[in-house]
Amino acid sequence: MNAKRFFASIMMLCMLVALGAGCAKKTTDSMPASATKVEISDKDSDWQSQPAPARSMTEDELRAQQREQAQRELGNMIFFAFDSFELTPESREVLNAKADALKKYSLFTIVIEGHCDERGTSEYNLALGERRAKAAQQFLNQLGIPDNRMTIVSYGKERPLDPSKTESAWSKNRRDEFKIQN
Amino acid sequence: MKLKTWILTCLLVLLFAKGSHAGDVLSVDIFGPGQTKVNILVLPARGPGGPGSSALAKSFSETVQSDISYLPFLRLAYMNEILGGDPSKGLKADDIDFKPLQLGRIDLVMTVGGRGQEIEARVYETYTRKLLLGKAYNQVDEGGVALVADRFCAQLMRVLTGKSGFFDSTLAFSKKVNGGKELFTASALGRGLTQVTNDGGFNVSPNWSKDGRHVAYTNISDKGHRLGVWDRNKRVSRLRKFGGNVAISPTYTPEGRIAISLSINGHPDIYLLDENMNPGSPLAPSWGISVSPSFDLSGRKMVFCSGRLGGPQIFMLNRDSGAVERITYEGTYNTRPSLSPDGRFVVFARLTGDGQRIFIRDLVANQERQITFGPGNDEDPSFDPDGYFVSFASSRNGGVKIFVTTRYGDPAKQIPTGAGDAMAPAWGVAPALN
Repeated sequence: MNAKRFFASIMMLCMLVALGAGCAKKTTDSMPASATKVEISDKDSDWQSQPAPARSMTEDELRAQQREQAQRELGNMIFFAFDSFELTPESREVLNAKADALKKYSLFTIVIEGHCDERGTSEYNLALGERRAKAAQQFLNQLGIPDNRMTIVSYGKERPLDPSKTESAWSKNRRDEFKIQN
Repeated sequence: MKLKTWILTCLLVLLFAKGSHAGDVLSVDIFGPGQTKVNILVLPARGPGGPGSSALAKSFSETVQSDISYLPFLRLAYMNEILGGDPSKGLKADDIDFKPLQLGRIDLVMTVGGRGQEIEARVYETYTRKLLLGKAYNQVDEGGVALVADRFCAQLMRVLTGKSGFFDSTLAFSKKVNGGKELFTASALGRGLTQVTNDGGFNVSPNWSKDGRHVAYTNISDKGHRLGVWDRNKRVSRLRKFGGNVAISPTYTPEGRIAISLSINGHPDIYLLDENMNPGSPLAPSWGISVSPSFDLSGRKMVFCSGRLGGPQIFMLNRDSGAVERITYEGTYNTRPSLSPDGRFVVFARLTGDGQRIFIRDLVANQERQITFGPGNDEDPSFDPDGYFVSFASSRNGGVKIFVTTRYGDPAKQIPTGAGDAMAPAWGVAPALN
């Protein structure tokens, strides 16, 4: 009995080995021709000129992606009345959302640009643009965003969004823009 | 043209013995009430011995006539106003029949003669037949003829009015370049147009030091506001950052210091910088915006624009007493004042229903009047060193260009500044860059 069992086990083992070998052969046969070519070209390649490791690429990409996302969430402008730097209720809502976004994207610092329409004169508008940017900065600061994450630049009426000479263009141009700095 | 060539110019003809008394010579009081308008006829350029004239002399004559068109106290007369046409046979008094000129109410007659590179020019008073001005220029070339004509007109203006700041000044102004703005300089007639800065960003609000050696301005870029100082002799500019967020409207005082609006205390106030460019305490401080300081020649009066009472208005600081007086009461938006050198007049921009317009306020008579009339926007007014001409930027012809009028509101003339928008003209007592 034992000898029979032993013989049967040997037979099964042989069959399994044969089956395994057959499978392996099949795998080799099904490999595309190009796979072999790649292997050959790898041998000849210069290791120094290989692209950066995938991990660091992902980090850069991730940061760029985050930056883009942050800019999208922070990019909404706020608008002002003529010769005014008072924040409207709508502006306050926009700034509330910005404060949340700035907390979420804590790596980034922002520039707040103050802009004016063309009706005022250049020098007074530079001061007014600063007041507009400052109003947003102070509001964000009250919502917990430290001042050192926010820089102010007033462009006065130097960079209109819409150069037309209409009330609708002027109201677009009286604005604060928010841009990621780093 | 080399400088030497027209430095060699000399006074040709002296005043006649009888005409040498200043009291006898025609003079124009450009600052008087009711301006005098003097008629001047420029006779066709001639050769020394006859009607044939050099092309250079013709070009000189044309430029002089173009220059005269900028002087509102002179009216260019036409030959067809003279009975019998050209009343001259030569260049000097003996060759001119003054009677038809007198009948035609011509006050001044000018003769121009030219041979090769030499030009002679004379201006006679027709009623007294006296020579007011006579000049000869040697070795003039095509490139220099306009400058020679400008010099002659400067002399003529000085003889008539005692002033010639219009011709002796250089304008500095902002001009759009590559999406930003850089500073340019040119004579008040647009001669010698030169780009003097290349900082990138927006260079705005140029202002000359009183000695004509430096121009202070604001540079705006993603780095924020910086004070720029351009050195005329070294032809370089340096930028300086201050604490706070702004550095607006830097203005030289007569003593050579810079007054500038900074927000180092949280809101834009005007500070006087010391010799090391450090701000001291604010001049006329308030919780509102204060910008655009402008000083008289004594430096003791400073006008400025402030929003301390709400909308922007013009105020004056007496630096001796520290008193601040409100200057403008009409209109809700009055900005960018310029004080005349004698401290009597303030020009400023007022927002009207038709756009920005330039107004002048007489601080002695306490009267105000409009001196520009658009269309478009007129802004950035600035007094010339004589306090007679007022330059400003206007969008009346489409793009923004620089114009000049007088404090009496004479018809505005455009100053050629090439292609592209030009604004914020500032007068400096310095010859244009050659």
